[in-house]
Amino acid sequence: MLASRYALAFARRSATKQSQSSGEPVKPQTKQSRAIRTRRPRISLQHPREWNRPLAFGVLPAFDEALKVIKEDSIALKDEVKALEGAIAREKETPQPDQHALRVLEDKLRILEVQSEINFPQVRWKCANGMADMSKAVDRHLLEQRWRKEGALDLLMERIHQMKVVPDVLPDIHPSLDLRVNFPRVKSNTGLQATVSKAVYEHVEQGVFLLPEQTVEPPRIYATVFHPEERLYTLLMIDPDFPDETNQTFQTYLHWLQPNIPLSSVSTSPVPNLNTHTTYIPPHPQRGTTYHRYTILLLPQHSRLSIHMVAKDKRAGFDVRAFMEQHGLDRNVGGGAHMWREVWSEGVPAVYKDILKTMEPKFGRMPKADRYGDFRGKKRYV
Amino acid sequence: MSVSVLKSNGLPFQLRGLVARLYSTRKSEVSSSDPQKDTIRRYLYPPNIRNKASPTGTWRPDVARALQRAIPSVQAHETIERAWLLHQRHLRKKRDAELQRKFNCMRQAMQELEEIDSRLFREANKQEDPRARSLAEVEAMKKMSEPEKRAVESRVRGLFPRELRVPTDTPPKNGWPNEWRAFQRPLA
Repeated sequence: MLASRYALAFARRSATKQSQSSGEPVKPQTKQSRAIRTRRPRISLQHPREWNRPLAFGVLPAFDEALKVIKEDSIALKDEVKALEGAIAREKETPQPDQHALRVLEDKLRILEVQSEINFPQVRWKCANGMADMSKAVDRHLLEQRWRKEGALDLLMERIHQMKVVPDVLPDIHPSLDLRVNFPRVKSNTGLQATVSKAVYEHVEQGVFLLPEQTVEPPRIYATVFHPEERLYTLLMIDPDFPDETNQTFQTYLHWLQPNIPLSSVSTSPVPNLNTHTTYIPPHPQRGTTYHRYTILLLPQHSRLSIHMVAKDKRAGFDVRAFMEQHGLDRNVGGGAHMWREVWSEGVPAVYKDILKTMEPKFGRMPKADRYGDFRGKKRYV
Repeated sequence: MSVSVLKSNGLPFQLRGLVARLYSTRKSEVSSSDPQKDTIRRYLYPPNIRNKASPTGTWRPDVARALQRAIPSVQAHETIERAWLLHQRHLRKKRDAELQRKFNCMRQAMQELEEIDSRLFREANKQEDPRARSLAEVEAMKKMSEPEKRAVESRVRGLFPRELRVPTDTPPKNGWPNEWRAFQRPLA
């Protein structure tokens, strides 16, 4: 495809040379630069395309040799995989299987399975273009490497540390799953009341400012998890900047809690049934406070948990560390995180009126005593 | 890869600089009547570098097109790179495995020798001094000239001989020394 484009450019240049030598008056050089295509082609699961060889056979002998080498290596590795599977089966059949040896063999099997297919250009192309099959170990591995190495995880960690979510909400977190949050796009102010357009949910970058009007409904949560077996996770939504008037400081407010969410690499997305436990209370940054950081955490559980629902009036003063300690949620095993920021806007009074059904507080400085109140209006020079 | 806002002229690399230089001189005084003035003018009004790569390499609009010619497909390039690294890994593993096998054989042999004969085992474990000279060599060296002595001393067991001629791409200027003969010395 690209070879033909090269040939075309060559033909065009020779054409201009011909016109010059034929004795016509010298024209200024025609700009024949074709813009280098920088936009990604529209290939995804919704618009799938089959993989084709990037170069035909014989165009680049090194490429054909490379494919041969990769194929041979894959065949050798697949034989090794078969032998290992036999060894594991035999080990399991013994009356007292050695657990440590079994684990070592299973780890090696997983590595070999990935290595046998990771060099194929068709596999890499599919994963790079959104057509990965999450039931295959190779595709899972490639997607995880992409998430970890090509900037997405780095962005999340940068935002989480720069916004100081990490020391304030949790001591530390080492994400093991890609958590994406989608909120509806901002509706334009000039839209007519009559037109009820369907909310278009858009991806939220970590750390950006959102409007309280956007976050009235719970978001769509997409969790890309890299293990094939089903594990249970707990969803938490925290506001660490909720004002605490009595102590003149900030406290943590629990907006959302949903335990026992089953997630695996083949589970449906977005994650369903998230609003059945402690229902979602939309963010309501108080007037007069600086921006609030809203954090979503997805913490792994060891086993099924029974957690009491947190009442509406008990949401403030929620201790995340104590909660994790109490229910055995280990943040070092993995999990996911996301955060965004919000500031008071015209949509917040509606939240207080309709959902919280309390008076909206207004924060600010106490009015200063007027030092010269006695002297105002009086004659000064008597 | 950045895309240049200005369209690059479609000339090959060699001619681009020449064209820029021609455009830089004033149209009225294009002839080189006074080369000194031309030089001064060229330094006062340098050629426009907005259609060339910057000298320090911060803006390189020509790279993308050059890469597109050299590497027709990113996918093919990555595949070739992976296959080559895979091949190198196989060679490395084979060499390491062979070395490991030899080492294990040697260790096994030494263990058996220790069990069989302890004196020979001790002899086998002795470190040899590579610069040591045998008695015959020492005797012969007493009668040698300085360059000959240096030639003998430069031969150390296990190292490349210092007198080894460095291989070159072209033959020597002064031709081959056909009359050269090695001087007699005892083989160590």
